Amino acid sequence: MILVLVVVVALAFDFTNGFHDTANAMATSIATGALTPKVAVALAGALNLVGAFLSVEVALTVTNAVVKIQDSDGAPKPDLLSGGGSDLLIIVLAGLIGGIAWNLLTWLLGLPSSSSHALFGGLIGATLAGLGTSGVNWNGDGSKVDGVIGKVILPALASPVIAGLVAAVGTWLIYRITAGVAQRFTETGFRWGQIGSASLVSLAHGTNDAQKTMGVITLALIASGHWTDTENIPFWVKACCALAIASGTYLGGWRIIRTLGKGLVEIASPQGMAAEGASGAVILISSHLGFALSTTHVATGSILGSGIGKPGATVRWRVAVRMVAAWVITLPAAGLVGALTWYVADLLGGGLLGAVVITALLTAAAVAMWRHSRKEPVHPGNVNDEWEAPAAHQTTAA
Amino acid sequence: MHTLSLVWEDLWKITVASLILGAGLPALFAVGIRSLAYGTGGDAEEHGAGIAPAPHPIGRALAGLCFAIVLLVVGLGIVLIVASGFGQELSFDSIYPTIQDK
Repeated sequence: MILVLVVVVALAFDFTNGFHDTANAMATSIATGALTPKVAVALAGALNLVGAFLSVEVALTVTNAVVKIQDSDGAPKPDLLSGGGSDLLIIVLAGLIGGIAWNLLTWLLGLPSSSSHALFGGLIGATLAGLGTSGVNWNGDGSKVDGVIGKVILPALASPVIAGLVAAVGTWLIYRITAGVAQRFTETGFRWGQIGSASLVSLAHGTNDAQKTMGVITLALIASGHWTDTENIPFWVKACCALAIASGTYLGGWRIIRTLGKGLVEIASPQGMAAEGASGAVILISSHLGFALSTTHVATGSILGSGIGKPGATVRWRVAVRMVAAWVITLPAAGLVGALTWYVADLLGGGLLGAVVITALLTAAAVAMWRHSRKEPVHPGNVNDEWEAPAAHQTTAA
Repeated sequence: MHTLSLVWEDLWKITVASLILGAGLPALFAVGIRSLAYGTGGDAEEHGAGIAPAPHPIGRALAGLCFAIVLLVVGLGIVLIVASGFGQELSFDSIYPTIQDK
């Protein structure tokens, strides 16, 4: 029964992951008008679906990067399995709740923040509460890149800088090369390049992010004794995760799309292509080298870079600073929610009752935030409105 | 501090490869656009009033070549990612790429 809750909440997390990250791939294409908003989210959703099915690499050990609730081969730690694995399930459930709560809050504020950081933060918080500091994998054993510092914090610091550099160089080269070509001619040409490069980012997102949830669900299945194979993931898990992330992407996180597409930099299609090209290259190359970077950090860095690389373009640094602030607090904030929900569940006996109550709390919070968002809706119709202009829309980002 | 040097080893590889592909391919695409404008002539290029540049067929050919290279590299990239997901790898042993078991 707790298992059912974990699976449902994990799929809900995957769904928020999808709509939170639509912006990473499609914000620039929507902002420049290369694609209409509806077509853009449909394309992104379809490519995420394809991407999720392509990611057959076993993602079972996903939690090992930050917490010690699994062995290195993916099996759950035996001492957490007493009573049908409910100890482990409660930790995972509380962690997922922390991740979803943070994803929804940042969406409400229109801030792009990393969904993987939210998930890891929630898991770290729940583990700290449940198992103490020794349950967290801070820095691995030093022989390879591992742990919270090596796999989460350092990459988060580096990835926007790398992506920004690549996008800035790309933008600068493009404007140098196409100097003397009529602007209308370049706009049309680069729109095609933009669509292509944005599609690549969507595909990469599907392959990268969906498998995290697949890993978490499979871990829960193993812990409760419903699955034993640590080499494979059940097909229905893969299909559900793929559908959840794709439908989330299709729904579109319009608030975040608006911030990334219009808020940071006024973007033209050559910049858009440079930004998405840089994002796609950095994400695919790093994940191929086994070094997973956050899609969000990369995409934001790229868009900033495309603003720096274009002669005479303005970058709204205040918006950028707010985003960076959100990134810095993602890990501790999601962790805090994860830890608090674990304590609530533990107080209620750490069993089914606790699991039901914390899931109900999450649902209540989600409904409250959704209702709040209705007051100042951002939708396909107004997503491209001027950033500075009418006061009514300015507050959507506040 | 060992972690720092390990991370650094990965990061500079990512940076160099991303610069080549992530900035290089868009730049090549830009060369394609430039050539296409040269090939199309007329209002595709900025020009003084009344003296529209003549179209140059060689520009169109060069543009086609640039776009083809960009598509080819992106296509190979996707094949590489998909193949490694299915436990295969891309080999350049026989000059043209082939897919084989890891």
